[in-house]
Amino acid sequence: MRLPASPREEDFTSRLRGPAVAARVGVWLGTCFVIAFVTGFISHEAHVTHPFVAFPTRPVWLYRVTQGLHVASGTAAIPLLLVKLWSVFPKLFARPPRRVTELAVESLERGSIAVLVGAAIFELASGVANTAQWYPWGFHFRATHYAMAWIAIGALAVHVAVKLPLIRAVLGAPIENEEHDRPGISGVAPLGRRTLVRGSLLASGVAVLATAGATVPLLRRVSVFGVRSGDGPGGIPINKSAHAAGVIATALSPEYRLILRHGAQERSFSVADLEALRQRSGKLPIACVEGWSASGTWTGVRLRDLLDLVGAPRGRDVRFTSLQQRGPYKVTTLPSQFADDPLTLLALGLNGEKLAIDHGYPCRLIAPDRPGVFQTKWLAAIEVL
Amino acid sequence: MRASRMLLGGVGVAVAAYGVKLLLDLGLGNLRATLEWLVGGIVLHDALLAPLTVLVGAGLVRLSRGGVRIGPLVVGGLVVGTVTIAAIPVLGRFGARSDNATLLDRNYLVGWLVLVVLTAVVSLGVLLVRGRQRP
Repeated sequence: MRLPASPREEDFTSRLRGPAVAARVGVWLGTCFVIAFVTGFISHEAHVTHPFVAFPTRPVWLYRVTQGLHVASGTAAIPLLLVKLWSVFPKLFARPPRRVTELAVESLERGSIAVLVGAAIFELASGVANTAQWYPWGFHFRATHYAMAWIAIGALAVHVAVKLPLIRAVLGAPIENEEHDRPGISGVAPLGRRTLVRGSLLASGVAVLATAGATVPLLRRVSVFGVRSGDGPGGIPINKSAHAAGVIATALSPEYRLILRHGAQERSFSVADLEALRQRSGKLPIACVEGWSASGTWTGVRLRDLLDLVGAPRGRDVRFTSLQQRGPYKVTTLPSQFADDPLTLLALGLNGEKLAIDHGYPCRLIAPDRPGVFQTKWLAAIEVL
Repeated sequence: MRASRMLLGGVGVAVAAYGVKLLLDLGLGNLRATLEWLVGGIVLHDALLAPLTVLVGAGLVRLSRGGVRIGPLVVGGLVVGTVTIAAIPVLGRFGARSDNATLLDRNYLVGWLVLVVLTAVVSLGVLLVRGRQRP
């Protein structure tokens, strides 16, 4: 194939580039985007203090599964998006129509596709970088990724609405059918269309297997690109270290006291005071927005027991303040259903060891079914709202 | 079908408009940084990656015109190529931090080599088996 200075649609002769492949890969890609959108919305709801519907405390692994699915479906979408864009690339060079009304309609459609392609690349690129904690940009990740998701899914709906007759036609015909192909395609191709579609799905599956070990323990040895192998103090990885949070001196100080406040009542606890209270154990996962998760057996004081000590009624939200000096999650609010849950602990130990300083020593919050950033470490104060 | 298409399109426009509103609410500085990446992603694909695949594709077509059956190798290349792109953030270890040994704690280059070798072995295996079946 010659490469002219300015290519035309007809210059692309591959019989693989066309609606038969695009629609089939597109169905899988669209499915991935819908799963990522729904699970992303669930994650967003888990991050706001007062969502549409109160976020459930059971099953304890719900957020772990939805966020794992979110990252897995986004990862699966990367090979599919690349093949999908490849299969329709010649359309970029289609000659614009002469008639003004047709030109206006086509400009609108091209505009909607530019938005769709831009938003899709943006979501996958920013998402996959975020899983590896790489932030080479100036925008607020979580809020922007969330806003762009609405743009992507809206543009996807418009795209499907525009293309529906063509999609139905090519999906209803055999894959090698040429009725809807561009004119001028040649018969020579190094592989058949079905092989290309299956190859894309294979690539998509390999991408998931190669990364999902960060959240699926069984895949840890298989996932050569897993962001975390699952190791760490007490058998669990960490996100923010004590050093990064600037808490080493205050957390290890013998002067450390946890302040518990309810209205005018205030009590303070040293580490020994907390250890003297009734200790409970429970297996709870820690699940981060970046898609990694791990389950551990936590030991400590039930939060509800502490709240009873200051006479806090049920049904109250509780504010947690960390010793960490800055950061958006220095102060977090725990909705009342989590505060009253018998599984919610102030953990002092993990998997039979004393809580490591990187896990939040002297004590941290661990609640069922909550995003990791809200499992506040290095607790300084607890306040009933 | 026309009515349901209109409805789907209308809902799509409304949903995307809500996203634009959310984006605008994040402020002008955030919007500028977002647009850089939005446009940058399209440019990177259309001006760099897509022409690259055109060149590779042209070479593959020439090979198969010469009668070489390379289907399984192309699929292998597709797997390695796309999965490598998905793995750029871990391969570059851009997010690694000296104070957190639990993050990016694998040898990703070795992992990549394992992927390449494994894919090459499987692709060649399929090629050989097929060649024997259809001489």
